[in-house]
Amino acid sequence: MPRSRLLFTLALAFGLQSPATASAAEPIRFSRDILPILSDNCFHCHGPDPKHREADLRLDDREAAIKHGAFVPGKSAASELLRRLTTTDADEQMPPPDSNRKVTAAQIELVRRWIDEGAPWGKHWAFEPPQASPIPPVKLAAWPRNEIDAFLLARLEKEGLRPSPEASKETLLRRVSLDLVGLPPTPDEVDAFLLDNAPDAYERAVDRLLASPRYGERWAWDWLDAARYADTNGYQGDPERTMWPWRDWVVKAINANMPYDRFTIEQLAGDLLPSATLEQKLATGFNRNHMFNGEGGRIPEETRVENVMDRTETTGTVWLGLTIGCARCHDHKFDPFTQRSYYELFAYFNNTSETGGAAGGGRTGGIPPVIDFTTPAEQTALAAAETKVREAAAAVDKLELELFPRDAKLPAGKSPAAAQLSGNVQAALIQEPVKRGADALREMVNFYKDLKPDYAKLLAKHKAAVDERDRMASRLPRVMVMDTLATPRETFMLDKGAYDKPGEKVSALLPVSFAPAPKDVPKEALANRLGLARWLVDARHPLTARVTVNRFWQSFFGTGLVKTADDFGVQGQRPSHPELLDWLAVDFVRNGWDVKRLHRQIALSSAYRQSSKVTPALIEHDPENRLLARGPRFRLPSWMIRDQALAASGLLVEKLGGPSVKPYQPAGVWEEATFGKKSYVQDHGEALYRRSLYVFWRRIVGPTSFFDVAARQVCSVKTPRTNTPLHALTTLNDPAYVEASRALAQQTLKRGGPADTRLAWAFRKVLLRTPSTAEAGVLASSLQKMQTMYSADTAAAAALLKVGESPRDESLDAVDHAALTAVCLMIFNLDEALTKQ
Amino acid sequence: MNPASQNPDAQWRAEQTRRQFFGRSAVGIGGAALASLLSGSGLAADAGAKTSVLQRFGGLAGVPHAAAKAKRVIYLFQNGAPSHVDLFDYKPMLRKMHGVQIPDAVVGGRRFSTMTGTQTARPCLGEITKFAQHGKSGAWVSDFLPRTAEIADDLCFVKSLHTTAVNHAPAITFFLTGAEQAGRPSLGAWLSYGLGSDTEDLPSFVVMTSVDKETSCGQIFYDFYWGSGFLPTKYQGVKFRGNGDPVLYLSNPAGMSKQVRRGMLDELGRLNQLQLAEYGDPEIATRIAQYEMAYRMQASVPELTDFSDEPEHVLAMYGPDVHRQGSYAYNCLMARRLAERGVRYVQLMHAGWDQHRNLNTQLKIQCTDVDAPSAALVKDLKQRGLLDDTLVIWGGEFGRTPFLQGSIDNTKQWGRDHHPYTFTAWMAGGGIKPGQSYGASDEFGFNAVENKVHVHDFQATILHLLGIDHTRLTYKFQGRYFRLTDVHGEVVKPLLA
Repeated sequence: MPRSRLLFTLALAFGLQSPATASAAEPIRFSRDILPILSDNCFHCHGPDPKHREADLRLDDREAAIKHGAFVPGKSAASELLRRLTTTDADEQMPPPDSNRKVTAAQIELVRRWIDEGAPWGKHWAFEPPQASPIPPVKLAAWPRNEIDAFLLARLEKEGLRPSPEASKETLLRRVSLDLVGLPPTPDEVDAFLLDNAPDAYERAVDRLLASPRYGERWAWDWLDAARYADTNGYQGDPERTMWPWRDWVVKAINANMPYDRFTIEQLAGDLLPSATLEQKLATGFNRNHMFNGEGGRIPEETRVENVMDRTETTGTVWLGLTIGCARCHDHKFDPFTQRSYYELFAYFNNTSETGGAAGGGRTGGIPPVIDFTTPAEQTALAAAETKVREAAAAVDKLELELFPRDAKLPAGKSPAAAQLSGNVQAALIQEPVKRGADALREMVNFYKDLKPDYAKLLAKHKAAVDERDRMASRLPRVMVMDTLATPRETFMLDKGAYDKPGEKVSALLPVSFAPAPKDVPKEALANRLGLARWLVDARHPLTARVTVNRFWQSFFGTGLVKTADDFGVQGQRPSHPELLDWLAVDFVRNGWDVKRLHRQIALSSAYRQSSKVTPALIEHDPENRLLARGPRFRLPSWMIRDQALAASGLLVEKLGGPSVKPYQPAGVWEEATFGKKSYVQDHGEALYRRSLYVFWRRIVGPTSFFDVAARQVCSVKTPRTNTPLHALTTLNDPAYVEASRALAQQTLKRGGPADTRLAWAFRKVLLRTPSTAEAGVLASSLQKMQTMYSADTAAAAALLKVGESPRDESLDAVDHAALTAVCLMIFNLDEALTKQ
Repeated sequence: MNPASQNPDAQWRAEQTRRQFFGRSAVGIGGAALASLLSGSGLAADAGAKTSVLQRFGGLAGVPHAAAKAKRVIYLFQNGAPSHVDLFDYKPMLRKMHGVQIPDAVVGGRRFSTMTGTQTARPCLGEITKFAQHGKSGAWVSDFLPRTAEIADDLCFVKSLHTTAVNHAPAITFFLTGAEQAGRPSLGAWLSYGLGSDTEDLPSFVVMTSVDKETSCGQIFYDFYWGSGFLPTKYQGVKFRGNGDPVLYLSNPAGMSKQVRRGMLDELGRLNQLQLAEYGDPEIATRIAQYEMAYRMQASVPELTDFSDEPEHVLAMYGPDVHRQGSYAYNCLMARRLAERGVRYVQLMHAGWDQHRNLNTQLKIQCTDVDAPSAALVKDLKQRGLLDDTLVIWGGEFGRTPFLQGSIDNTKQWGRDHHPYTFTAWMAGGGIKPGQSYGASDEFGFNAVENKVHVHDFQATILHLLGIDHTRLTYKFQGRYFRLTDVHGEVVKPLLA
């Protein structure tokens, strides 16, 4: 590589690391150039946290630092800070050599210039309200379609780069369909789009997708990750809960394009709105989606406090884009957030009637306060199941009178015949039979299986009745929601976050170090969750809109404008395009927090429509595609890959909402994770073909068909994207994909026609484009190969065609069908199929 | 054995040279993503020579920080907390004061779980079985563990461990991730991240779980015990299942032979190559490699689980359960086979040690489950020359109270509660000094008093054996540099050979 080129590349790489650092010509900007250096290297010991502050020096406060003699504005040569940064004396050097921190020569130079320029101070960028900068001028004036493009292009031109040409119509329609509704378009939709030469053809396609009910299902996924939604409580026992009516509320709200400020208020404080509707109360389920630890030996108050912390920290991540969990124990080391502010925020969520005890008998995860959506029919069915339990228990009781002779008033466990039994079995026998739970019964059945088979049989029957009753009870829709205690609970700061070490008393107060209190809300109205929600969506709040816009950007382009979508604090990464982020945030609020409008804006931009082809020069200059000189190209989320297979194969059942479903899963996964206490009972029929959004999520062992998904244990706003062989095994061998391939092959065969036409049709069903000549050649040879192998082994063909429960058209030739199934499975596994490009 | 592996220093130097070479050349190639699928750092892997154990996939440049004594770890985690005073920490005082209240001065207002937190009677409970000294080192081992006793001179007993957590899940999480709250990377994830993998055919971090046959008091296995926390998910442990396919979706679908699959992957690769030529995205090359690796894993895992090449006397050592998939014995043999194939970290977890009210009936059964297989694993590694660079660890999340939980008259329901203030674990191989008992508790086995070893010290020592400075293997997350040992931990030098 020529030397000049290398230097250019290095400069670019440096520029991307810390976008738009001051060049020698422009003045230093504190928050952009200096604060990150101080925060990264100094604040840990010389920052906002007084408990760990060394030498009583703080560098997060200008006056304090000057007073301490850290630097003299205008005189770098007389500044101790610079001397400590540059000295070679290991005892004096800062940061200390053993701290693993290092300030580069370039950074030291910035600090020197900053001091010499008078050491001007300022707030961290994200805590200043966003300003809509003027739209920058660009040379390639024909390219921008909207403001997004102007900001991106201005930066590209500054870097000496050009945008890529527009993607082909097929690619574009597939891309935007996957983004907006999470499903590929049908070939018919592609045909119509290809024939539509009107200038607004693409715009109309986008509007059609935004109006589809599938749109709400697609975007609900991201929200469910943030809301740590699941169908069980987590922890030991992992009892089922029924939060799905809340999940359906989310889908409905997104489809109705509920403005994001309203969406926020109803979920955080719907119950506190004047004459709140049932729907608004249901929305507050958001703050009850956390895990719930009901383990034996667990102290309820500890659980309750942990849940309040979860609500507090989830709010921090979702709306503030800040990591505040560390302030449980101590003042934040980098951001202006004290331990006291943590508990003042905590106080907002500390006032519900949830006790931390596993009320509901531990059989169901629905822990009060709940809204009961049970129908009378469900009540009757449960009563019948309860009767069966009583009958089975009575039979056991009768036999136990013989097996364990005793005074009739005493329990069987007190009989001399039970005296020699092991602890757990005897403990079970001390309980009246009708009160025994499934765990005790399971242990008894195991114990007596060989010793007393007849007794064990009765016990097993009893257990089956209990299981059925519990299963039924756990399915009754009782949605956990928020309420407010008549007498407020007092809140204390907790020493090291320990529930049993209360310190000073505090009350609910807004963390105004991030944003001022809203002007139009009276002070006393700010002291409850409704006040908190109003503060979050106040037009002047510097974080909420930025954080929200950034999360949506991340979904479309793979990486947020701020890469650390969960940390906008001092230690988070700075935005790649600060002006664009601010412009989008201001525009979003000004237009009524209209999410569909924002999605439309992004989807219609020239930037989004670019081809995602990569050149060696681009990959070298911008491997992560942060500058967007090309369109987004990255692997689809695994749940979307499954939905795509269902859609392309025609198996998908498009039905909105309802209880969660249990599709195919290898045997024994739940059993192994729960020591046999929970059995996966797979559903049949249309439940197998519902969208991934509706798949039952057991917290301690999530659905096996998905990979790289949030664990749904705590709030998550960034989907991991990794690459392991286990992912390939899933999409190659999971029956869901094999069945989709069989269904696609069946459709293809039924269309008839010559082999190459059929192959092209199947290929297009998935990828929405016609294969190239070279690709058609490979497809043909692969079909031929499969045909030969399956002709030689018709038993294998028959076996392959039995995978999955959807019926097969038996009139189709088994060898043809199996061979084409194998080819379709290959198509579903193509890089292009797994990727949004 | 490769001569270099007998000399850790020479090997380390060789690796440094090799890495520098590839580190430089990777820049020249440009598409470093292509070079290694498992690479976390863009370090290129050696795509050529297949013979050398020097080959490494992924990992961080500069790690290990120093010559490593151990190349890999097998952690035999005993969930539920084995009773130190009945198994290793022999205390005649408890026998002498059997049934007599333990002195308040010893207890000193310590907290216990809610199960005995309110119990005021705390009678000493003498060991429930016989102790004897074993080997040249004279280590105390109870007769519930006869096979372990036989290899006492290969083991190093750490008898002064202590922890802070009193409930199972937080205490196990503490041992395996360095923090009580779930969500930090586990030890195995840190190792995969720092050291990369020595095999491309198997995951570098494998987890296997088992439970006593009665499932009497087992604690469930949370996936965060082998999670990657904030490290990329590719570093999380791969759990081998106790039934069916050891790896989810490992088997081809019914009716799809190996030949069909191979044929299909050949054509898939061809089509992906065409796409790579069209789009130029290095991710496509990575995808091609991913599918090939999946295919290799499909071949290597069945070979791994096929014990037909094991001689009868080896199988016999592990005991009759060795043939039952999902048993502790089966998992121990699997651990050895994984170690042989270059897997970095194997985490076995066996539940059922939580004897709150069935000490007299269940502890012996529990010991029978794990005694022979654990000892067999150490012997087997030793006879194959693998023990030198394989660190084996046996231990639980805390100990059990020297006093009784329950009533002294009701011997059938005797139990011991959770006890974090002292307990015992053993280590073997991988640079550990064998044949010693390190540290000691007081005469009641209540508090660690001599050469106390905290969980973070234990972790720092494990990392040290692998050539890692525990203060330098860090990851920046949410603005902070995190490490396994949080901000604590000292290497326990006397444990080292």
